[in-house]
Amino acid sequence: MEAKKTKAGDWRSYQRVLLPPVKDLHKLDVYEKHDGYKALREVVTTDKWDPTSVTNEVKKSGLKGRGGAGFPTGLKWSFMPPVNPEIPRFLCCNGDESEPGTFKDRQLMEYNPHLVLEGMLIASYAMSIKTAFLYIRGEFADWITLMEEELEKAYAKGYVGKNIMGSDFSCDIVIHKGAGAYICGEESSLMNSLEGKRAYPRVKPPFPAQKGVWGYPTTINNVETLACAPLIINRGGEWFSKIGAPSHPGPVLYGISGHVNRPGVYEYPTGMLITDLIDEVAGGMRGGKKMKALIPGGSSTPILRADMIDGVTMDADSLREAGSMMGTSGMLIMDEDVDIISWLRRITHFYHHESCGQCTPCREGTGWLENIVTRIDEGKGNVRDLDLLLDLCTQMEGRTVCALADAAAWPVRYTITRFREEFETRCLKEMAPSGGVLETA
Amino acid sequence: MGDFIKHPVVDMPERMPAPAIEADKLVFTDDEKKQMKTWVSRYPTADGAIMRGLWLAQEKFGFLPPEVIQLVANEIGIPYANAYGVATFYTQYFKEKKGKHVLDICTCFSCQLCGGYDMLHYIEEKLGVHKGETTKDGLFTIQEAECLGACGSAPMLQITNGPFVHNLNKEKVDALLDALKEDKIPAFTSVTLPQDEDEMGGNRRSDVSSIESYSVRPVSETLS
Repeated sequence: MEAKKTKAGDWRSYQRVLLPPVKDLHKLDVYEKHDGYKALREVVTTDKWDPTSVTNEVKKSGLKGRGGAGFPTGLKWSFMPPVNPEIPRFLCCNGDESEPGTFKDRQLMEYNPHLVLEGMLIASYAMSIKTAFLYIRGEFADWITLMEEELEKAYAKGYVGKNIMGSDFSCDIVIHKGAGAYICGEESSLMNSLEGKRAYPRVKPPFPAQKGVWGYPTTINNVETLACAPLIINRGGEWFSKIGAPSHPGPVLYGISGHVNRPGVYEYPTGMLITDLIDEVAGGMRGGKKMKALIPGGSSTPILRADMIDGVTMDADSLREAGSMMGTSGMLIMDEDVDIISWLRRITHFYHHESCGQCTPCREGTGWLENIVTRIDEGKGNVRDLDLLLDLCTQMEGRTVCALADAAAWPVRYTITRFREEFETRCLKEMAPSGGVLETA
Repeated sequence: MGDFIKHPVVDMPERMPAPAIEADKLVFTDDEKKQMKTWVSRYPTADGAIMRGLWLAQEKFGFLPPEVIQLVANEIGIPYANAYGVATFYTQYFKEKKGKHVLDICTCFSCQLCGGYDMLHYIEEKLGVHKGETTKDGLFTIQEAECLGACGSAPMLQITNGPFVHNLNKEKVDALLDALKEDKIPAFTSVTLPQDEDEMGGNRRSDVSSIESYSVRPVSETLS
């Protein structure tokens, strides 16, 4: 077995950059004292930067999207068509954050809101965008109020709006309040929601860069992704690319929840060993119990058994090899007492509730997943239900407009394949009194 | 046809329900109209402002019966059907009358593992109603919510689409319900980052009075 090796280097002495330890950093004057809006000033007022060089710097940094899919950000920005003064272009910052297990963007908005705003403005500059939307889920009412207050202060100081800092670059930021729909985190349904429609995802292509909100070129990035932009401008893409795992670099906010002693959001480089994160960062398992399983990045990423995480690091490549995904890096840690079947039942309930109802495989499939998993959980299941579930997953994956059907099917598929014994035991236990119809080999 | 299909598969809403809001109260003030205009001006088309408009109406009228949706649609200048479609799509818009305080108890997986259902059942028993129901005095509605994005401080709940209450336990729920009965809604609570606790000795925000930390997290008696 290969030795455990972290890709995060000397992470114990890591200095935070997204959420640096500064008292009251969310206030504009404190933020200004700590290099706040310095990157934006440099970008819009000096000749050193033009839109292409900003995009290139982000490309050089190797920044990958932090919203789940992990798409290279610089590349995404370069997909925007050439500027045509007659056609407006838009940026959407995705703060919908509804993937169960994910709670990092909220902390960023609470403790460093101006970094998010500055990142949005730099991205807008790089793509010559004049209107940027910040979509925040409706449940975060308090954080929306906070962001609006801070945005107003930024407007008053001339950081947002017309001719930013005396340059010829103008950009408005509009904060859009959602109203409670998981699906709005999907980029095309977020666009529909912005347009004031039911948040049904759209068929791709055309991709948002060609036809986005109101049919105009649009780029959609996660809150945390955009918050990295000012850091890249200030310290250079090369500095950024050297943090953490080479193939998936940068600082990342790990949201650790579940049965650990110190749950919460932690900022560390990518490529942290999962075992380090649990044992050292999050203070170990609660009550000294053993770990049973974990979810590395939100509810739709495949579950990993405790015996599968040796030497696995939190970056796209290592997690793919281990059979999972980086997702949103919202980790859920489960201890040995967890009933994996009733846990899965709750997840299937979530997806059934959140399916938007546009595509049949998802609308019906999520319901059937819930029904069958519930039947098994209640002890009325049959072993062949497990294969029925897997078959159902196959029928759902990749057959819908958006990835919600896949996201709903994966937890079922991987929980069953990775904990099959437990499912079979639950089924068989209840079959026995009726005469032991099923024989076990 | 016989009686094969006895009732619609989906309960259809009543087509013409009696208005729940009296006609003379069904108006926006000039300030509110001005606010709507500001929102409309921020989007390329008026449609974009519908979600904000519905939020404003819900805060004013408490919920969104058809006549209120019509009012918002007229104010924003979009067809009623569009506004109705939006209002019925999103879970946070209340289509029927709710209690004065709506308790959204999160039971999605992090909260489930940390005792979210214990809290839901405890509140159900204490108030004598099931989830989705309103108490007879009209004070409380209990709802089971999907992930509210506060998994690090599970179990938690949200009060009427507003403040979050983190790290719930029975004592906290008791105190919260007593406070809500007296109309005392808890203030915004900041959850301290564990790294801030190590490096800065506590929460970094000096302007927040109510602070939570992982260290006060309850351990549920019946972890699932």
